[in-house]
Amino acid sequence: MDTVKIYTNIIKDNMNRPEKVNKLINFGLTAAYYYVSFFKDKRIPKSLHYLNKYSIKSIKDSLANPQNSAWVNLFAPSEFLIAMDIKPLFIEAYSSFMSGFFIEDYLIDTAESRGMSNTLCSYHKTFIGASELNILKKPKFMMTTSMICDANIPTFKYLSKKHGVPLYIIDIPYKYSKDSVVYVKKQLLEVAEKLEEVFNRKLDIDKLREVVKTENKIRALMKEYLNYAGEKRFIPTMTFEMYMLFASHVFIGSKEVLHFYEMLVEDIKRAPERSGKSIFFIHLLPIFEKNFKDYFNFSDKFHIAGSDLNYDFVDEIDENDPFKGIAEKLILNSFNGEINRKVARIKELIEKIKPDGIIQFCHLGCKQSMGGTFIIKNLASEVGIPFLYLDGDCVDKRNNQEGQNRTRLEAFLEML
Amino acid sequence: MIGYVCKYTPVEIIEAFGEKPVRLDPGYKSYEHAEALIHSNMCSFAKGVLENIIENNIEEVVLTACCDSIKRLYDVLKDKVKFIHLLDLPRKKGPLAIDLFYNEIIEFIEAYQAFKNKNFAEENLLKILESKSFNKDKQSTESIAILGARLKDDVIEKITNSCTAKVINFTCTGEQRVFNIEAKDNLLKSYAESLLNFTPCMRMAEDRSKLINKEFKGIIYNTIKFCDFYSYEYAELKSKADLPLLKVETDYNDSNSGQILTRIDAFLESTGIKKMEKQKTKKGYFVGVDSGSTSTNVVIIDENKDIISYSIIPTGPKALESAFKAFEIALKNAGLQERDITSIVATGYGRVSIPFADRIVTEITCHGKGAFFVDNAIRTVIDIGGQDSKVIRLDDSGNVIDFVMNDKCSAGTGRFLEVMARTLGISIEEMAKVQREVKENITITSMCTVFAESEVISLIAQNKDQRDIIHALNKSIASKAISLVDRIGRKGKYMMTGGVAKNQGVVYAIESRLGEKLIIPFEPQIIGALGAALISLEGK
Repeated sequence: MDTVKIYTNIIKDNMNRPEKVNKLINFGLTAAYYYVSFFKDKRIPKSLHYLNKYSIKSIKDSLANPQNSAWVNLFAPSEFLIAMDIKPLFIEAYSSFMSGFFIEDYLIDTAESRGMSNTLCSYHKTFIGASELNILKKPKFMMTTSMICDANIPTFKYLSKKHGVPLYIIDIPYKYSKDSVVYVKKQLLEVAEKLEEVFNRKLDIDKLREVVKTENKIRALMKEYLNYAGEKRFIPTMTFEMYMLFASHVFIGSKEVLHFYEMLVEDIKRAPERSGKSIFFIHLLPIFEKNFKDYFNFSDKFHIAGSDLNYDFVDEIDENDPFKGIAEKLILNSFNGEINRKVARIKELIEKIKPDGIIQFCHLGCKQSMGGTFIIKNLASEVGIPFLYLDGDCVDKRNNQEGQNRTRLEAFLEML
Repeated sequence: MIGYVCKYTPVEIIEAFGEKPVRLDPGYKSYEHAEALIHSNMCSFAKGVLENIIENNIEEVVLTACCDSIKRLYDVLKDKVKFIHLLDLPRKKGPLAIDLFYNEIIEFIEAYQAFKNKNFAEENLLKILESKSFNKDKQSTESIAILGARLKDDVIEKITNSCTAKVINFTCTGEQRVFNIEAKDNLLKSYAESLLNFTPCMRMAEDRSKLINKEFKGIIYNTIKFCDFYSYEYAELKSKADLPLLKVETDYNDSNSGQILTRIDAFLESTGIKKMEKQKTKKGYFVGVDSGSTSTNVVIIDENKDIISYSIIPTGPKALESAFKAFEIALKNAGLQERDITSIVATGYGRVSIPFADRIVTEITCHGKGAFFVDNAIRTVIDIGGQDSKVIRLDDSGNVIDFVMNDKCSAGTGRFLEVMARTLGISIEEMAKVQREVKENITITSMCTVFAESEVISLIAQNKDQRDIIHALNKSIASKAISLVDRIGRKGKYMMTGGVAKNQGVVYAIESRLGEKLIIPFEPQIIGALGAALISLEGK
């Protein structure tokens, strides 16, 4: 029996003792943090190694200090939290880690036994399950946007009611207009007020400007990175492309993320020239799916060329009026609005990255993603790049039909 | 005509254009066209609407950005119908949200004017809104609420017809489009505001708890497969447990409405608001016929509630013939003639097609009745039959106070075991003998019968011990049963009924998960029929 399995069994045996499970999870995260610190894998570039540690630490920090923490979703404007030194915990990341600890099945079953739909996204169900079992300590604040994912509003409303924790819902219109920017900006001003009230500290507007400035620098570096992504073979495992979401979303604007992107650009310049076949991913990567792990992680033959989710906003934010700037960023996200917006972004990215194939892993329950599959397939055939879509689950491993997916994935890779 | 789906659609604008707004219903059993255009795992409602639009060549469609599925429906339809328009729909209600929605309505008017080359007249809208002016509804003392996702009109009608309480429909199909337009100087803006003031659906930011009235006799909560919004509210209501609550899950086509109506009927029976014909208690012999999907069972009792005889036969392709046959066998065993029988109650899936029955009652009520009669300490009945499984909670007097049933798939039912026995190449009786693992504790991860079958095939290919595979299958059934038990909460004593209760392995697996012994009646398959016979005797 391996160490992780022993650890998983200990957690599962103690599920009726939330305090202990909470400690065990903190212990697991600490162990993971020290493991990656001391046992550096030589195949992993320095920047990604730094990102790995930073991602684990960010989860650890928010869990260790719930009174200075806010639960958010991936798309929430965390700029305010960073400027006010509040630690965000984004639910998608927590659920991924729980899947990494092999306890997602227990948490999902708990959520379902309380009445959650079995077709609901497992990122949400895992988090709700952990909350139901009280293994997550309640934070001081919750913040979510309405954009992209239907589950956000109900999940956060449910959690907020259950824990009696204040929640701010930022409603993001589907269409961009002058009025919609005004609408969101007003809500962002209210969020800031609410944060000041709940955490009993002031939001320094200059600090917020500083965060936005850093974010703009980061986006410039992202573009530089993309210039090399078409020529180099760089991302060693699927997990790193997903870890990038910490940097491209929730923690963008932090000094650490800026440091990461500076290293990343240096690293990719030194990376080996592209060889084998490269795959561009739509939306999410199934980091726990065995076939994908076998084929993509540390592979010479096939490598990960990126995913569109890490580049859902690539423009500059107005530094003078950060509230307006952030409002525009949220509304103009390529995943928000008609699918044409997303298709145009994918087109830009694949023109730059020039992948040999495109894969969309349709995460069960994610309607915004799977609803556009056939349209993206049409785009792929227009530009002449082979496209494959597979169904499965990025968190709940029980929903992955490995045998069936293997045949399809292998046939696709053979086709390339 | 213009097709629409969401209640927030500016239907009255369409009418003011002199066009006919038609709320699109899916109503299709196949998604042949839809699944060629959109992923099969999308919400069945959105797929059904897409199928309807393609199949019936609907040329003009107005949608709102209400949910992810409908947004993608718009993307897919964009170049496939002559006119399609998507209105952005704010989730909040303040003045800025009203401005946004007002602009959306203006944009729609302009787009439709350009498409039809037809002018929009505000006075038409005013007339329409005045004709739908607000009229305060008198509150009835006894009412039952339907909440959740939209439910088909005919189901609502059936509920209304079969219960004595007033039915309040809070789903979006139930919205009474009434308006109280005060600011006539800016009619369109007032109209936008009125629309946003409709009963908030789950996608709105507003709190919906004010909809719940403590005086409700019960709540029927409807959810649609792959539409996950409403499960949250259901979970919340369930955790409070201060009102009788029934969850129904449909995929919004009518194929399973028989099962749904069984649940609804049982719920109305348990909340005491089902319309009932009064029956006089009579003397003689009383019969219960349980026409199940796998077996048909008949029980005859006398006026002292003693079981005179019973029969169990497999339900063939014709449920009615099997019912006659089972009835004849039971009569023969009892040495009785049909004329000796005072009354007959039918239950089970086939209950509606048994012409010789005097009354029909759902199998949920019957199983509860039967189980409590056999042992009045029973508080939870776990019934696993051929095609469904259910868990029934009884109160101290034996009344059904809560129940859950499996989803429409066969996971965790007798059919699951039958399929697996076939795959393993053994009989169901041989399979029933295996209790524990011998070498290895295997877990079958797929709940779905089809996928579990392929998992079993790969376990066979790996040369795993057959007894270990059977043990794993028993655990899988137990896990499904336990998740049903947990949905209504644990409370002993437990009785297991239905054909699967004869499988020692499954019984053992459930007992070890439950940490408690199950009471298995002398003949677990006739408990439903026994309950029906008792109801036949008692007349209630």
